[in-house]
Amino acid sequence: MSSARKFDARPKVAGTYRFLDDYNNIEMMHGLLFYARFDHGIISKIHLPPDFNLNEFTIVHASDIPGQNLVPEPVADQPFMADKEVIHFGQIILGIAHHDKKTLKDFSEQIQVEYQKQPATTDIKQCLEDEKNCFGKEILINHNFTPKSDPGCTYLHKVYYTPHQEQAYLETQGMIAIYDDQKKSMFIQGTMQCPYFVKEAVETIMGSAIRQVIVETSEGIGGAFGGKEDFPNIIAGIAALLSYKSGKPVKIVLDRSDDIIITTKRHPARIEIESWTDRISGKIRKLTVDYRLDAGAYQTLSPVVLARGVLHSFGTYNIEEAQIRGRLFRSNTPPNGAFRGFGAPQAIFAIESHIDHIARELGIDLADIRRINLLRKGDEMPTTQIIQEDHIKECLETVISWSDYYNKKARFEEFNHTHSDKKGIGLAIGFHGGGYTGNGEKILKSEVKITIDKDELVKIYVANTDMGQGAYTTLAQIVSEALSYPLSKTIVEIPNTDKAPNSGPTVASRTIYIVGALLQNLAYKINAEIPDNNLSSYIKNHPGQFPREWKLQFQPDPDIRFDDNTYQGTAYKDYSWAACVVEIYYHCQIYQIEVKNIWNVLDIGRPVNRKIAEGQVEGGNIQAMGYALTEFFYKPGFGRMHGFTDYILPTAFDIPEINIEFINTSSPIAKGLGEIPMDYPAPAILNAAQHALGRNFYELPLTPENIFQVLKSSHNTKIAQEDN
Amino acid sequence: MKISFRINQKDVSLDLDPMRRLIDVIREDLGYTGTKESCGEGECGACTILLDGFPVTSCLLNAIHAQGKQIHTAEYLAKTEKGKLLIDCFDETNAVQCGFCFPGFFVSSYHYLLNDGEPNLEKIKYALSGNICRCTGYTKIFEAILLACDRIKKQV
Repeated sequence: MSSARKFDARPKVAGTYRFLDDYNNIEMMHGLLFYARFDHGIISKIHLPPDFNLNEFTIVHASDIPGQNLVPEPVADQPFMADKEVIHFGQIILGIAHHDKKTLKDFSEQIQVEYQKQPATTDIKQCLEDEKNCFGKEILINHNFTPKSDPGCTYLHKVYYTPHQEQAYLETQGMIAIYDDQKKSMFIQGTMQCPYFVKEAVETIMGSAIRQVIVETSEGIGGAFGGKEDFPNIIAGIAALLSYKSGKPVKIVLDRSDDIIITTKRHPARIEIESWTDRISGKIRKLTVDYRLDAGAYQTLSPVVLARGVLHSFGTYNIEEAQIRGRLFRSNTPPNGAFRGFGAPQAIFAIESHIDHIARELGIDLADIRRINLLRKGDEMPTTQIIQEDHIKECLETVISWSDYYNKKARFEEFNHTHSDKKGIGLAIGFHGGGYTGNGEKILKSEVKITIDKDELVKIYVANTDMGQGAYTTLAQIVSEALSYPLSKTIVEIPNTDKAPNSGPTVASRTIYIVGALLQNLAYKINAEIPDNNLSSYIKNHPGQFPREWKLQFQPDPDIRFDDNTYQGTAYKDYSWAACVVEIYYHCQIYQIEVKNIWNVLDIGRPVNRKIAEGQVEGGNIQAMGYALTEFFYKPGFGRMHGFTDYILPTAFDIPEINIEFINTSSPIAKGLGEIPMDYPAPAILNAAQHALGRNFYELPLTPENIFQVLKSSHNTKIAQEDN
Repeated sequence: MKISFRINQKDVSLDLDPMRRLIDVIREDLGYTGTKESCGEGECGACTILLDGFPVTSCLLNAIHAQGKQIHTAEYLAKTEKGKLLIDCFDETNAVQCGFCFPGFFVSSYHYLLNDGEPNLEKIKYALSGNICRCTGYTKIFEAILLACDRIKKQV
């Protein structure tokens, strides 16, 4: 396990690494997305401000689209731009470009949209309650479930809520489009996770007006976390349209408030769980989960998030009878999209919290309830997939002893007897399926390419982007190790759809697990073709054979089957596993939770680069901490958040000590890593809060206001009981 | 109006709207694109520069605030001796992920190294409290600055 340095660290610190807004040319126009400031309405007229020279502006509307006004998604139901009807706040109505940024902004601020107001659903919690807001295809998994009740069991029925979460990548979204009228081609450069998605989107909006679309990423991508999976399609489409109409290069870089208002977020969820648990053994006999996501105004990629959420909603537990239902709900809010975890953080929050409530109900310790119900080697998931390994048990036992869980628990309880401030310790376990869900990888058929030049450079061509996670360094390391060739001469080329084959999107913890494994196999294939086992000297001795190119395509394992209708079969070939203990300190005077310590024990298979892997765990933990404590997007009576002043992100002051251990590190497989550290800390923080405060919580985030409400309501209940 | 200041040891004199944001002057008029804009409201610190040696968010300042002052950006600090030492430490600890926030972190930590430099975690957290990073969880950034403080102490 090596810790090769990241090749891009130094220029990034010095500010010489180029992000999208650092690309400039004199010809370039600035673009802006003009969007609706209302929730639902029929547009009757758009008034452009009179005091500007309209000839200087390029303005595009839905009616200017030569191709199709539908973003190609798993469900293609979202237009690039609203035509007559706006169905959510932030829906784009116009694309506008001008040479001067300030004039552009002044102009757009004075545009008036006349519209007839229509009824709108904007209260997310209410939306998720009402089944008539349901849309799209329902998922139902039935695993030996019988509705009859069991007299020896304790029945527990709870509802859990999670809020929106903003990805808050530091670099806002943006795209440059350069139209070449002679070649009828469109060059797109931008900050994105999925160059081939963007290519398809631009081809869709431009239709037969252009012959060729080439998409390349900027040198640096300033964070993404899922936020740059699908929204870049829309920006690229409109930038392309503006460039086509103006004949000039157009750069759109969103400012923070536009970015936070119009782009996708993590889906808010309402998850209802019923459980029947044997009173004596603590074994969960039956479980039902009703998993509901607010998709926003359009489905877009929500069905895929729903699928992953449902497939993680039963947790890492062996349950004999289960019934799981997954549904999407429609509201008049911007479509929600991908965010690290992709439906799993909501699911794992609910099931892990529920397990804790069962334990408290039965008077069983939080670690014991998990031991009793844990998925073990040979057990069957509700999807009928048989578990092949016992790593989750090892994660759990290691984290309990390493964190000194039992002693701390006792000590904290002693402390809490005599102090107004409180201490709490919490525990949660989680899993995350690597790669696309179900048959996804089979359909994607990712392909990778390696070339070797005369100048002895090994170049890797993939469509996967490095948005900070260190993909280029780790992928180069995989190839360099497999070829026994110096890392300094092994490079990943900036993704470009004209040069790199489609190795699939940079999502689903698949970059190292799927694409890295393909590259490793391709490198072994190259090794086998180079007879003298020394690539350097072979290139020197056979200059006529170079440059040379090799390709390899993903071959699905024929024994892996998944039924998209019944959700039975192997949903994910390999799972990563993790267990976590969290210690908190509660400041009673300000109702605030401070996270003091997080212990992570993870099985991600072989960590290719130890330091990069640690960085993923630390970053994921802190995003999860924000999810648990401070982050939400709508506040009743306040409205939506507008930037980093009201959307509260963890800062240097909030950072606990983070401890990380990897198990199963000699595994031949490097499994998914990016998402799992986001999945499990939130429920661990919640159950530490329950331990500290002796109250039950069912909803995130645990802001001081929300904690105050829960304490106040349980205080009132107590008074009411005494009065009776 | 005419606005004159010194940036990265070079004297400049520009005819500017005095209310133009200083970050736009630095990035667009002078081409120092190492200074990044992220939140545009002084919360995230990606646009941190040294103004007369003190770290400030350039998105909240106007061109007029630079009048007669001395500005240093990440590009310049990267070439100084302490700057190079800090970059080594960020590199060795894998403190950098997407790196968009990093020129700002670099300027704040350079200022800390120059003006305090004690390897004290609480003080370092205070020095970085005006910078937001969404990728790393900060832990390795702290580690890097502690390492840099230690190295400088050993040099003296």
